[in-house]
Amino acid sequence: MIRQFIFILSLLLSLSMFAQDKKTQKDSLKAAQDIAKEFELDNFVVTGYQKIDRRKMTGVSTTVKISDETVGAVLNVDQALAGQVAGLSSVSSTGAPGAPLKIRIRGISSINGNQDPLWVLDGIPLDGTEVPTMEDLKDIDNLYQTSIAGLNPADIESITVLKDAAATAIYGARAANGVIVITTKKGKMGAPNINFYTKLTVSPNKGLGRLNLLNSDEKVNLELGLLQSNYSFRDNKGDVARILSNLGETAAFKAGGWDALSADAKNQINNLRGINTDWNDILMRTAFTQDYGVSISGGGNKATYYASVGYSNNQGNVRGVSADRFNATVKTNIRINEMLKVGVSLFANQRKQKSFMTDVNSFVNPVYYSRMANPYFQPYNADGSYNYDINVQGGKEDSQLNFNIFEERANTNHNRKDRQIMAIFDAELQFTDWLKFTTQLGLQTDAYTIDKYAGENSFAMRKDIERSLYTYSTGKAPFLPTTGGKHQVTEAHSHQWTWKGMLEMQKRLGDYHEVQFMLGSEIRHVDANSVYTAAYGYDPRTLTSQTVYFPSENSALLFPLHRETQTENAYVSWFATGSYTLKERYTLGGSIRFDGSDVFGVAKKYRYLPLYSVSGLWRMGDEKWMKPVTWISSLNMRASYGIQGNIDKNTSPYLIGIFNRRSILGQSEYVINAETAPNPSLKWEKTRNVNVGFDFSFLKGKINFTVDYYYRRSSDLIGLKMLPLETGFSSTTINWATMQNKGWEFAISTRNIWTKNFHWTTQLNFGINNNKVLRETVAENSTYPSREGYPVGAIFALETAGLDNQGYPLFRNKNGEAVTLTELLDLNPQGGSKLSAEEQRSLYKYMGTVDPKVSGGFINTFEYKQWTLGLNFTFNFGMKVRVTPTYNPTSFDRGLNTNHDVLNRWTVDNKNTIFPTLMNSSDRPAEYVQYHDLNLYNMLDTWVRNCNYVRLQSLRLAYKFDMKWMKRIGIKNASVSVEGRNLFVIASNYNNYLDPETMGNPFAQPISRDIIFGINLGF
Amino acid sequence: MNMINMKNIFLLSIALLLVSCDKFLDIQPTGKVIAKTGEEYRALLTGVYNTFPTDRSLTTLRTDEMFIDGGSVTSEDYNTYFDIWTWNDITPDEKSTSWSWRQFYHTIYIASYVIDKQSEITEASPAVVSQLVGEAYMLRAYSYSILVNLFGKPYTKCDPTTELAVPLMVTPDVESVIGRSTVEAVYQQILSDINMAKQKLNVDKWEDALKYRFNKISADALMARVCLYMGRWQEALDAAKVVIAAYPELEDLTTTTYTMPDKYTSKEAIVSLEQVMKSAYKGIGYPDAKFITSITTGDLRKNRYFKAKTSQVYDLLKGGANECRSTFRSAEFYLTAAEAAARLGKLEEAIDLMSTMVKNRYLVARQTTTINSMKSMTQDQLIDFILEDRRAELCFEGHRWFDLRRTTQPKIEKTFSDVTYTLEEGDSRYTIVIPREAISANPLLSQEKK
Repeated sequence: MIRQFIFILSLLLSLSMFAQDKKTQKDSLKAAQDIAKEFELDNFVVTGYQKIDRRKMTGVSTTVKISDETVGAVLNVDQALAGQVAGLSSVSSTGAPGAPLKIRIRGISSINGNQDPLWVLDGIPLDGTEVPTMEDLKDIDNLYQTSIAGLNPADIESITVLKDAAATAIYGARAANGVIVITTKKGKMGAPNINFYTKLTVSPNKGLGRLNLLNSDEKVNLELGLLQSNYSFRDNKGDVARILSNLGETAAFKAGGWDALSADAKNQINNLRGINTDWNDILMRTAFTQDYGVSISGGGNKATYYASVGYSNNQGNVRGVSADRFNATVKTNIRINEMLKVGVSLFANQRKQKSFMTDVNSFVNPVYYSRMANPYFQPYNADGSYNYDINVQGGKEDSQLNFNIFEERANTNHNRKDRQIMAIFDAELQFTDWLKFTTQLGLQTDAYTIDKYAGENSFAMRKDIERSLYTYSTGKAPFLPTTGGKHQVTEAHSHQWTWKGMLEMQKRLGDYHEVQFMLGSEIRHVDANSVYTAAYGYDPRTLTSQTVYFPSENSALLFPLHRETQTENAYVSWFATGSYTLKERYTLGGSIRFDGSDVFGVAKKYRYLPLYSVSGLWRMGDEKWMKPVTWISSLNMRASYGIQGNIDKNTSPYLIGIFNRRSILGQSEYVINAETAPNPSLKWEKTRNVNVGFDFSFLKGKINFTVDYYYRRSSDLIGLKMLPLETGFSSTTINWATMQNKGWEFAISTRNIWTKNFHWTTQLNFGINNNKVLRETVAENSTYPSREGYPVGAIFALETAGLDNQGYPLFRNKNGEAVTLTELLDLNPQGGSKLSAEEQRSLYKYMGTVDPKVSGGFINTFEYKQWTLGLNFTFNFGMKVRVTPTYNPTSFDRGLNTNHDVLNRWTVDNKNTIFPTLMNSSDRPAEYVQYHDLNLYNMLDTWVRNCNYVRLQSLRLAYKFDMKWMKRIGIKNASVSVEGRNLFVIASNYNNYLDPETMGNPFAQPISRDIIFGINLGF
Repeated sequence: MNMINMKNIFLLSIALLLVSCDKFLDIQPTGKVIAKTGEEYRALLTGVYNTFPTDRSLTTLRTDEMFIDGGSVTSEDYNTYFDIWTWNDITPDEKSTSWSWRQFYHTIYIASYVIDKQSEITEASPAVVSQLVGEAYMLRAYSYSILVNLFGKPYTKCDPTTELAVPLMVTPDVESVIGRSTVEAVYQQILSDINMAKQKLNVDKWEDALKYRFNKISADALMARVCLYMGRWQEALDAAKVVIAAYPELEDLTTTTYTMPDKYTSKEAIVSLEQVMKSAYKGIGYPDAKFITSITTGDLRKNRYFKAKTSQVYDLLKGGANECRSTFRSAEFYLTAAEAAARLGKLEEAIDLMSTMVKNRYLVARQTTTINSMKSMTQDQLIDFILEDRRAELCFEGHRWFDLRRTTQPKIEKTFSDVTYTLEEGDSRYTIVIPREAISANPLLSQEKK
């Protein structure tokens, strides 16, 4: 694939070189005008369909120029937007290499549907840009990639974020969450420009000090203490218990304590104190990242070209984890004659991610394991063989499977390889100076392979074999082969093409009237398929596997050998947009789009949905009566109203079934399972948008200020509704929920100091979002409150009121009294609550929301002669996070390491604490059931933390060389830079966690702190 | 390129773009389907056959057939089944298994859907469509016959026109919320569905591997069972005789070549849909030893259906495997016919029917004495004899609970870890409480009386 690509690349380059040779005077004049237009880029907004004169732009958009100076050295496009755009929040969920960011524009407008914005590359909407949910990211057994990750930021000129209905209506149903339009670099007329960059990054190993884990001495003391207490959960776990039980001294210790132990026992236990395995040090590392690229661009009056290749290799801080990317891009624009211009772009990339198998068991996750492994445990025996950690075990309580993280790393692989090619062909036919036809064809092909291998000697394989135990007439035996490993391969392809044609008219009528009108049509086709195969008893050396003899259909369903998916969708749209401008001051705009899709089982009447917007712009600053106010250089007022919409593709008015094959009496037959209830009254999800905004520019542009207010009301949102079970279904999705987003966006940019040698500019942007669910249903038996009246990310918790005289949590009831859990929930002796579900719901207190209320960025740039200093901060305020408790009072596992909080738990000698005592099932059985079986402990307000932070995202110092001798040897420009990313974060209390953003995810890799050295050379 | 060329290209492009796109949008997805053809409707029915609840089998736990031993029960089984075994419907454990309320209604939904859409089924002969619709009526009638006996009072022990049983959904409608119908109304619906099924069904016998499907005679079989539950003896007798005429053969336990009658491969098998004591249920406990020792010596079922482990502990030989499936089998209809005949005072006919049972179930040497002893019985004695035989014959096949309900509703005592749990004679818990999740999803279900 790459070879073919390079072939095409050279072909195109030679084509454009050829075109360059044939020049005429007239052409060069025209080309010069083209260039003049290019320089005006700042004055145009690229919407992906049109370039709109900023003076006539009625919608709300923000454009970010992508360069090292503005966004720093980023490896992925999505990282570039953090803190740059008011109203766009971007939150990382893990620090893993290549992990996508969760981007939200103006809050959340759908409860169950997709919440990610639409990404558009040079006019073609991209496919496969959904970011997995937080829950999926916790499932660390998957490696994720979105199609954005394939783009090299060095190829990107600018990114425009379209925010309100007026700007996005042209994109129709897919634009409900905002649109991000990427414009890539292209060649400019002139001599060839060769540009080379290299960036080398060091990401030091972050210590786990923040986690406050116990050292060996503390851990041994804790285990000794617990053995003497009556806390009985897993009391055979931990090396202390094991030593005592091997020596038969457990009873003696319980009765007489330390002094009752034999010298041998004391010795063995004291030995443990002496071992302090630094798990962070042996599982994590200081990571190095390399990023190189070279581009060549230029052009003549007939054609321009841009071509680049890039390579980056990104090591993870976790040993054995890395990601790399190879990019090649080529673009050429050719003017065939007076009327016709064509352009071809090709973007190709290949990405590889390497990891090892983490299985379904979270202990195998190195981040998690480094926190859970005992400090006195040594992973290798004296003879170099693996020492198995039997304190760690997943699944069944009584299973004893050997686990060693180094063996796992050595004997398993988990690799993902992505290949992507995007090709865009466009043509522009200029009939007259006011009428043109443009057409664009975009192709996108993505393919990925996930390859997982676990050897015979691995925990992953042992676990599978244990899972395959079957009771044969001859006794219990596994049905999977007991020798060899397993090999699972997923091969997936997706392919989309989009073709659009547009007729554009732009005319000035007389002195006062300007009219612009566009009419177009777009068709899109997407298909995707994936095949999964698995082999057991696999030997990677001989490439052979063994036959699995499944004893029953149910056993075979546990270990599927083949799975396949296939989807195909088609879309047809018509759109029109137009504007009328009077006296260059008053602009009225409107657009409308009809989207049709093949969504299966959707009645024809729902196939086409009209979405529209109307908007206006008043350039107040140009009014005569404003002329005397000289300190205002410009003042615009914008307003828009529009409807965005979306249809849920998983609901249908018809009864839709899924094919399967099952055998009832031994003969395999087709079955159709109807899992979801048909919804005969399905409607579109609708979001009504209102936006009002002002743009000010003071003191000859020294201060620019933009403010927008928006109100978005989403109704008929698809929500889950519980059905009477007599309908045959437990729930259905219906158009039920209603939600609103209200917010303000501010962007201020100032030129603070502007002298000959010294420039200082500042940009501050932030968005305030208030989200509220206006209507929602919860299951009638739900004991957790509904979000109605609260934000969609609402967190509710039980308000605590300290501990009682036995170390059990007390709760604040409605009358403000401190009561026990038994009293609060009116528990029966079995631990069930006698309160109705509704009464239980009302006990919860609203704590806050997981989404930031205020988010934004603060950017300072200083330039002194050849020096540039950039300082970018990003901030998010007003979030809450529900964290995992540092220990659970009913199921604290003494076999694992833990945080210091458990040492500060309530005991007879330590009553002044907020951490409850360790509980036994016999002490308060009813409360125990609630904490242990129903996980109520997580619902305490103790575990809801504030999350506010300001992160120094980038501190970058660059020096531009400007020496005569360089010019002589052909170097046009050269610069070096050093940048620190994530150097520090100022945040509300996030003790015990590595980063404020990832507090809720115990499996998240730390967000790395990077030092980047960069060199740029232009020839 | 000249101007005219350009214009042509342009016009062509516009024309292409504006071509009606409906065809472009008509994509038939793979894997997903909206049933249209006969084969697809068959697959829809196979889907609900495949997941048909085994609740009849689960009722075994509530009867006197099985005991749970505190020493050997696993904690998982204890949590899942103990509350069912001790009739604790009010405060069951969180993990306690629940009755398949939704799954029955899902089956009913699909059945009603097929009945509703029968005229739209394509690519199938009228006979095939008729059979599909007949089976749908049977699935609905059969599901209601179980639901009404799980959650409604026994027809013969209450005023069926005022006692409420379960909601009656007979249209595929997900938008309605309805309350409980009377026992009478549910039974009338069952009878009407059976009669519809009778007109529609046309397959006399399915090949062995498809025996889980309802065949023509199964309508009479269900009619016999339902009429027995309703105490309509004559109709029960008539229907049962029709079944016997079609399936007269019984497994001969006096030989060594018999097939276990609960297997679908048995010649007694008429419909083999539900698993008899699937291994999950079988592993919970042991058959009640008192009952096994009470079986008359000479009755072969004592050794053919059970195997002594110790003098007090027996293993059950029925069930435990996928092939052990029985919904209707011949022996049930001999017993139903005999009981109905006896209750109608037709003692000779009853004895005649029971003689066939005896000949296939007793040691040859004991057959004549057994038959002769019947002849000297009073009507009540004979009915008791038939009921005892029914208990031995159909044990662990999901009949006992429903038979206890419609007959004497005796007192049952169970002991576990020195605690005794009692179900009193005529206890209200002979009717199971509607599952909590169903009531919370439809508050109308909490209504007690009409």
